[in-house]
Amino acid sequence: MNAIGIAVAVEARKAVASRVVPWTTGILGVGLAALTGALLAAAAVGDERVLARLGPLAEADGWALLVGTAAQILAAGGFGACGILIAWLYGREFADGTVAGLFALPVRRSSIALGKLAVYLAWAATMAVGLTVLLTVLGAAAGLPATDPDGATQLLRIPVLTILTAFLAVPAGWVASLARSVLAGIATTIILLVAAQVCAVLGVGSWIPLVAPALWAIDPGAVPWPALASVLVVPAVFGGATALTWARMQLDR
Amino acid sequence: MPESRVELRGVRREFRGGAGVHGVDLAIAPGEIHALVGLNGAGKTTLMRLMLGMLRPDAGEVRIDGTRIDDLAPAAWARVGQLVEQPLAYGELDVRDNLRLAARLHGASRAEASAVADAAIEELDLTRYARVRAHRLSLGNRQRVGLAAALQSGPALLVLDEPTNALDPAGVILLREAVVRRARSGAGVLVSSHHLDEVARVADRISVINEGRLIGILDPGTIDLERAFFALVRADDEAQSAA
Repeated sequence: MNAIGIAVAVEARKAVASRVVPWTTGILGVGLAALTGALLAAAAVGDERVLARLGPLAEADGWALLVGTAAQILAAGGFGACGILIAWLYGREFADGTVAGLFALPVRRSSIALGKLAVYLAWAATMAVGLTVLLTVLGAAAGLPATDPDGATQLLRIPVLTILTAFLAVPAGWVASLARSVLAGIATTIILLVAAQVCAVLGVGSWIPLVAPALWAIDPGAVPWPALASVLVVPAVFGGATALTWARMQLDR
Repeated sequence: MPESRVELRGVRREFRGGAGVHGVDLAIAPGEIHALVGLNGAGKTTLMRLMLGMLRPDAGEVRIDGTRIDDLAPAAWARVGQLVEQPLAYGELDVRDNLRLAARLHGASRAEASAVADAAIEELDLTRYARVRAHRLSLGNRQRVGLAAALQSGPALLVLDEPTNALDPAGVILLREAVVRRARSGAGVLVSSHHLDEVARVADRISVINEGRLIGILDPGTIDLERAFFALVRADDEAQSAA
């Protein structure tokens, strides 16, 4: 097995054994289902405050309403979960004091950094499938038509949004590596989340990678495909920067 | 066989405030156990970090088996074992899994890693803790796990910073025997310690480091090693004050 393969295998074993990964997964899944269910129930009984918060979504119904509501929650909550997880994946080596053991090895530190990224993206892919299944079950339980072809199309936005949201949180891993701190990565996640909210409020989101996926998931017509594809630049640039940071790292502080 | 397992030539690395190491020359031959002793802050850990690529020197060069470490092929690091600072032990993994992962990071296949880890568990007398998660281990047993990880891949160069930290007397003896076995099979070993009596039992040579410079060699057979050590350090401090 090559160095990257070994790094992925090692990082996957650590992630599976950890408490952070299952807790993040559980909180995101349960939180998304509970909040989506609660908002839909409130909207169904005509709660004015909830309807106002849902905006144009309030006029939708069926799968479109469920997916749109879940997408709003997932864009913010999912980003937070992704940021925390990737900050921990990189920052834990400093917090646990294990970073010195990752030097003087035949597996380069850049490979270890990319191994962590691969494990993170694999987790995101698993979440994409899991959350879609979860929302399908939620919709079915709420009595939405199981044979609605539009429902399936609507639901497909969930895995795409999950993956794109995970891509957008990659900078948190880079900052955690650069600052050698889990908290610095989490702080970056919060700042990016606030920046995305401000951009959304100002209505300048379509071509900003940080905002485009959320806008697209709520209203697919509002964001052109090239703008959505530009999100791919984020993991490419910041994943590369993270690998470089680990490759050039010195234990000088 | 190369002349030196590791060689430092004029290695200098200075931090803000003047601390660091200042022009160190050192070579460790195959089969040699070399001890590095010095007061706290003398530069022992910095020297070891430079040797292992954890720090880049401002000047000078480090060679492992004759090759500059910047040019060392990744595979060559497979035969370097080290424990500098905290042990590579992840709290959520048990002892066996920690050692298996460490073996894999040293290039072992999945099947080899299990055999390597099992042998290390036996050598460091960790059998009863093999299935215990690292976060539940005592400090001394965590140190044993870190030592096992450093020792288990058949290192040609072994670098151990204060390896007896937190070890009980039984652990100290196990470590001593393991280090001697590695040296007999051709490894060059560098061990730092505050315990002069302990290093005198295993070391072939003892280098004294003070204020980031190697200031002399002590014969491990010296009767009052402590007195000889302090005499060297005091003489160096006085020479530096006078300069």
